[in-house]
Amino acid sequence: MTWISRLFSRHSRNLHLVAILLLSAVLIYGNNDLNRYVNRTTLFFSWPFSQVRCSIEELSGVNAENQRLQQSLVEASLRLTELDEIRRENRRLRSILEFEPEPGYSLLPARVVKVVGDKIPVSAVVINRGQEDSVLVNQTVINQEGLVGRISEVWPGGAEVQLLTHMANRVAVRVAESQEMGVVKYIASRGMILENFPIQGNIRQGDLILSSGLGGVYPARLVVGTVASVEKPEEEAFCKVLLTPAVSFSSLQEVFILRPD
Amino acid sequence: MKLIPYLVYLLLIAMHEVIWRDVTAIHGVTINLAAFLVLAVALYKSELTVVWFGFFAGLILAAGMPDRLGWHALALSAVAFTAFHVRERINLKSPFAKFLLMLGGLFLHNVLVVLINQSGGFLYLVWHSALTGAVYTSILTLLFFAFKDGYVTVRKIRDIF
Repeated sequence: MTWISRLFSRHSRNLHLVAILLLSAVLIYGNNDLNRYVNRTTLFFSWPFSQVRCSIEELSGVNAENQRLQQSLVEASLRLTELDEIRRENRRLRSILEFEPEPGYSLLPARVVKVVGDKIPVSAVVINRGQEDSVLVNQTVINQEGLVGRISEVWPGGAEVQLLTHMANRVAVRVAESQEMGVVKYIASRGMILENFPIQGNIRQGDLILSSGLGGVYPARLVVGTVASVEKPEEEAFCKVLLTPAVSFSSLQEVFILRPD
Repeated sequence: MKLIPYLVYLLLIAMHEVIWRDVTAIHGVTINLAAFLVLAVALYKSELTVVWFGFFAGLILAAGMPDRLGWHALALSAVAFTAFHVRERINLKSPFAKFLLMLGGLFLHNVLVVLINQSGGFLYLVWHSALTGAVYTSILTLLFFAFKDGYVTVRKIRDIF
């Protein structure tokens, strides 16, 4: 045995080099099982780092997924808002379709394109119909809810509508139930009121107020509003009648110009 | 021979191959940390230590490629062996000589890796990956030896500012 140990000690370097060459050769030309085993062993070094890398990639994937979902959520939210708006418009247009004018009149549909001034409530709006559509000053403007106002100014491509909320606008009206007459006007500090209604007149809360057609501007039987409250002071000759307008002036979109046939 | 530092080197190589290799790549040119560590060991350690370390570093480098394990181990062992014998014949006190040794060793290993992998036009890969990768890693070795040999120290850097 001594010759072997002598051989090893004398040729240690060469034996090491041969061992490396042999091992390499075995790995190059050896069977697959050995290579797989060695590979598994070497993967032991890489395994913890592979786990770290997988976790990082997974996290970055989750982050990207999160961003994608957030974007989808925003898009869905926008779409939902759009659908809500379409639903409201659909409902509004359906109610318009059911709306029919008084006999002897025709309707010209128009769209509100601009609000005049910045006061609340809105007192005038601009519509997309004008002289090109034969629109004239003082023509009545209504929508499916009731009387909106009158045309106060016209130009080729549009017109200005003076709403009932305008301080200069007056409407001759009747109480639908009793047919008693009065004048409706709008005061910014109080709202829509019925003027010149006698204290002994027959009027109650909830009564419907219609245009009488006697003022010369608006035709008869257009809904102006309903009676919100009635006060009858003993020492005064007229009632204090507050009305709720039939039309929502702050959300006007589609209106009709009422024209005699 | 203390084994723990070499195990740490092997772990470093594994970590680099799995995590940092792609992160530090510039236009597909990667740092060859395995060859760098083997060459650095070749500058200071004995022949057998260097060759065995090269062999195992080659195995780690080829992890996941069982059919190329032997080739990578042999290639890195050969580079280590060559580097050791070149080191014996050069003036190690010259940083330029060390740099040339590193550059040559890295280029040789990169060429061998290209040959082993044989994934495309050999000359193109030698130019595109082997040489550029060797230069990229050599620049880092310059920094490494500049710090190690004291040409650049923290104090000198501080003095600049």
